[in-house]
Amino acid sequence: MSETATAGRRLVELNVNGMSHVGLAEPRTLLSDFLRHDLELTGTHVGCEQGVCGACTVLVDGEPVRSCLTFAVQMEGARIETVEALSADGALHPIQEAFRNTHGLQCGFCTPGFLLTAKALLEENPSPSEAEIREHLSGNVCRCTGYQGIVDAVLEAAANGKDQADEPR
Amino acid sequence: MSPGSGTADVNQQARPARYTGERIKRLEDPRLLMGRARFIDDLGVPGMVHAAFVRSPHPHARIVSIDNRAALALDGVVAVVTGADLAAETAEMEVGAMLNGVEATSRPAIAISKVRHVGDPVAVVVARSPYLAEDGRDLVRVEWEPLPPVPDVGTALADGAPLIDEALETNHVAHGKIEIGDPDGQFETAAHVCRKTFKVGRSTGAPVETRGLLAECDAGSGAITLWTSTQMPHLTRTLLAPMLRVPENKLSVHSPEVGGGFGLKCHIFPEDVAVPAVARRIGRPVKWIEDRWENLSGGVHSKEMDCEVEVALDADGKMLAIRGAFVTDGGAYSSIPYTPLIDSGCAAGMLPSMYDVGHVAAQFDAAYTNKASVGAIRGVGWASGQLARETLLDDAARQVGIDPVELRLRNMLSSEPQKNIMGLSLDGGSYAESLAMARDAIGYEEFRRRQDELRAGGRYLGIGFSPFIEPTGMATASARAAGFDIAYFDSATVTVDPDGTATVSTGLHSHGQGHETTLAQVAADALGFAIEDIRVVFGSSDSQSYGMGTYASRSAVVGSGTIMAAAAQVRARLLELAATLLEADARDIDLAHGVAHVKGAPARGVTVAELAGFGYFGYDARPDDVQESGLTATAAYDPPETYANGTTAAVVEVDPALGTVDLQRLVAVEDCGRMLNPFIVDGQVAGAVAQGVGIALLEDLAYGEDGEFLAGSLMHYLYPSTTELPRYDLLHIETPSSASTGGVKGVGEAGTIAAPAAVVNAISDAISPFGVSIDRVPVTPVYLRDLLRGAGR
Amino acid sequence: MKPAPFAYYAPETAAEAVSLLQEHAVDGKVIAGGQSLVPMMNMRLARPTALIDVGRVAELAGIAVEGGVAIGAAAKQARVLREDAVAERLPLLVAALRHVGHPANRARGTIGGSIAHADPAAELPAVAIALGAELVAVGPDGTRTIPADEFFLTYYTTALGPDELLVEVRFPDPGGSRAWGFREVARRHGDFAMAGVAVTASCGAGGTVESARVVLFGIADAPQRAAAAEQRMVGASPADPALAAEVAAAATAGVEFASDPYVSAAYREDAVAALVERAVQESAKTMEEA
Repeated sequence: MSETATAGRRLVELNVNGMSHVGLAEPRTLLSDFLRHDLELTGTHVGCEQGVCGACTVLVDGEPVRSCLTFAVQMEGARIETVEALSADGALHPIQEAFRNTHGLQCGFCTPGFLLTAKALLEENPSPSEAEIREHLSGNVCRCTGYQGIVDAVLEAAANGKDQADEPR
Repeated sequence: MSPGSGTADVNQQARPARYTGERIKRLEDPRLLMGRARFIDDLGVPGMVHAAFVRSPHPHARIVSIDNRAALALDGVVAVVTGADLAAETAEMEVGAMLNGVEATSRPAIAISKVRHVGDPVAVVVARSPYLAEDGRDLVRVEWEPLPPVPDVGTALADGAPLIDEALETNHVAHGKIEIGDPDGQFETAAHVCRKTFKVGRSTGAPVETRGLLAECDAGSGAITLWTSTQMPHLTRTLLAPMLRVPENKLSVHSPEVGGGFGLKCHIFPEDVAVPAVARRIGRPVKWIEDRWENLSGGVHSKEMDCEVEVALDADGKMLAIRGAFVTDGGAYSSIPYTPLIDSGCAAGMLPSMYDVGHVAAQFDAAYTNKASVGAIRGVGWASGQLARETLLDDAARQVGIDPVELRLRNMLSSEPQKNIMGLSLDGGSYAESLAMARDAIGYEEFRRRQDELRAGGRYLGIGFSPFIEPTGMATASARAAGFDIAYFDSATVTVDPDGTATVSTGLHSHGQGHETTLAQVAADALGFAIEDIRVVFGSSDSQSYGMGTYASRSAVVGSGTIMAAAAQVRARLLELAATLLEADARDIDLAHGVAHVKGAPARGVTVAELAGFGYFGYDARPDDVQESGLTATAAYDPPETYANGTTAAVVEVDPALGTVDLQRLVAVEDCGRMLNPFIVDGQVAGAVAQGVGIALLEDLAYGEDGEFLAGSLMHYLYPSTTELPRYDLLHIETPSSASTGGVKGVGEAGTIAAPAAVVNAISDAISPFGVSIDRVPVTPVYLRDLLRGAGR
Repeated sequence: MKPAPFAYYAPETAAEAVSLLQEHAVDGKVIAGGQSLVPMMNMRLARPTALIDVGRVAELAGIAVEGGVAIGAAAKQARVLREDAVAERLPLLVAALRHVGHPANRARGTIGGSIAHADPAAELPAVAIALGAELVAVGPDGTRTIPADEFFLTYYTTALGPDELLVEVRFPDPGGSRAWGFREVARRHGDFAMAGVAVTASCGAGGTVESARVVLFGIADAPQRAAAAEQRMVGASPADPALAAEVAAAATAGVEFASDPYVSAAYREDAVAALVERAVQESAKTMEEA
């Protein structure tokens, strides 16, 4: 049966980082707000709510998605991964290590979106060229780094080739 | 803030003799990478409600009436507060006259009688959630009486122009003139005179994190706690307290992790007054997170300037005189604290830059228009003035028939410390050397050969150079040298804790600059500690280490000076403690990496933990000054003028048919004196260069002729992305400052100052066969096609 | 920047979706990927009172390759990009899709959503016309098929009725000797086009063009075919070095280019001339390769 909902709040159950999370959401509650303010996963950042900056990028069934352009109610049944999953065991993920090694972050606000977008790229293409990296990341903006460190980080992570090792799937 | 788990990396790296100068990985990175850092929108307090601002859709209008009944009737809306409501509880936001010829101004935080730009706030709606606050905002009915808009400087300064600020009786809010020597005489007799009019577009910092505030007021004491995404917690407190009518000791300003500032977050905005005032009025904590439209329409703007520049040259291409007139489109209000002078005033003051020219005339003006205010954004008016001067010099080189690099080299000041014609105390640099290094790194001669070959095949490549000097370490001396009659105070406190670790507090801040790392490097070296035993804390006005915050490329210089001075006092006490324990003279003690021993006798050492334990709990066995002052010291430092320098060079290919520009290479040579951490210097240059490319090619806070705002989203205000930027070559020259503590200079803005002119010069070089030259930024495809179509191409 | 309230429906069949659409014909909206709609809702420039989410309608997500290619309206752009069989038959579609936003937009964005949204600067409407696609719509009165040529009326307006749902985009069998070219100019990679063109041509046994389509987009209120340019191509040899410039010169004739606050009509006219020339050159190259 199809699902219907009024404009009111209701329970929404999402699979986030391998765990089931339940919260109250209106249909209009953006996934970004639901993750941040209902589930208190504040690692996902919001930069424009216009679908442009990419800071709010999360992985949905392995693909990068703008959480500010998605309603939480749409995501029931999907597998969502946020930045918090990358270092769930307390250690930096190899992509995170690479960002640190190459000074791929400054203020760190855009970083979670870049990390997840890069992770999706490396899963699909474990050894991308610099041009492929630049094209894949072009929908995420960083105001601090001029991107050089970010591109270098993805190159380094690819070279280390260990990005898929510890999938929290 | 805590250094997190990053210290392991320092252990893994071989321990250097000195930390400063080393490429040490950032201590703040792990929490940021893990998504565990706390930015303003990650914070909350019990009972918190959310604010949304009702804003003007008009560039210029009277407020006839505000009807809040429908909004108040909405379930979830807690309050609707207008400017008139707040007027009784707050003081006006005032900006004094910074110079003769500059108007002092004053405004209410929330407009009461009229609005002056699209996005000007007129009321605050407070509700249970941000969603409900916006629902309520949409229900507030404002009756407007639109007034004729003043969309540009020309309209603003015309006779009979509508007044933006009716209290002033003019829109011409600032005027000043500097004349040195006899420039007019030189222009009359010079062999060559070249003139240029250049229009710089309107851009801003637009950090990916917008501004945000969370305020609560203690019901008993009236004390206000304000969390805000600011670059300057103490200065915010000092400037905001009188506006909120609270004493400074009852206003705590906390700045959590800040998601980029670029100058945008070193101002006092209307919301900074309104949100805490509303929290006090309604007796509940109030949070407001700026949205992107608000950020673009209501934050501060920057750099829009009409520039007229001219240079007089002798027959050999030697600069005899330079004249410049710079008019800033200042927007609707004077930004606090810098005013629109931060753009045209700075452009004028740096007109001759590092060139050896004997006669100068520089005029600066600012006009009010119906746009957002102009404030201090990375590179300020220096970037605009650099564009005007450096594009003029390329035009002059073409006109006179001298190679543009050669023309510049003929006119550079020597690199020795000296006073320049504007009275700036240059502290030594590498002016000609940096240009030569950029020229060689980019392969200039080879490029010229390739350029000729490709041109023959219908491809248009160009190269451009932009040498610069950048005033850094902004403090009293450098501000006054730049013409701003203001004073600074900055301090740091170094405390050795009882277990022998050290805490360094500073009135600086960090929003990407990596100060938890670089300032720890400075402190570790100054104390003789291992870096993992240092923690750097900042971000709260409750810290006793007052400071003016982080902006204007000031923190490396100010941080080094303050911390080294405070650490020296504490270190002296540690040496005395060691001398006591080791029964030696303090002058004979070595203290490095946390261990003290008598020189030449490394086997018998005492650790700083032992020294600190003795220092705290050694009762009357301790030396007197430790008994009196403990192991903590606060020191202030108001640095002398420092000037970083360098050269940016760019190679572009222009597609004349589409008017597009492919930026193919970018070489940035930077000389910021002694580098604290080259890893971070590279990051600062790369990021600043990217913003400069944005200014040159993409970013435009455009308004229509009727004052309509055309850039309210990131679909229209365009950042450079990965695909618009090339890989950069980042090169360094390290000329220690002759003036500052440690020989350090700042680095934050250099790339933004230099890169736009390099890119524009490269474009003009590429299209020089068509006999036209770029005269504005951003160089959009539409503009470039118009220019080339006009040239018959 | 939060959307106004709305009721949310997630039907599981196209029929259910259509009946919901009928019920909410006045101010309901279909949401597929949401990449264009949700920004408008966040800015409160769009305020639908009901959203009908077709993301769970399995019958709209299929991709069938049998001679022609039939793509369910709700098939994700990223998925289409990964289908080798689609790439083999419709290289133009794949080339254009790479210009549609960024990976995160294409992960959610759908083929049908972009077409039904009818942004005049979007790539997929032009590609649908260039490939002679048919758009299958289901409404209360049943199913009808609309040629792409007749689908795009003006800014954000299509031939779909208020209670009609786009369910499928059918691309005909491209046949053997298909040439194509695609060019656009945007401020940045992934941005909407300031102007663009999609070219297709089929060649006969003699190596001359039998039919051609030159579709301009990002130029006015809807994508449109440049009839004079198409006529110039027919009967010509794609290998003729003079052809591209002549087609380009013909492409701007009689076209009313629009100005907006960001891009002038004069720019669009200049850009179209250059882009058509390059797209025709590219089509000659693809012909050679085929």
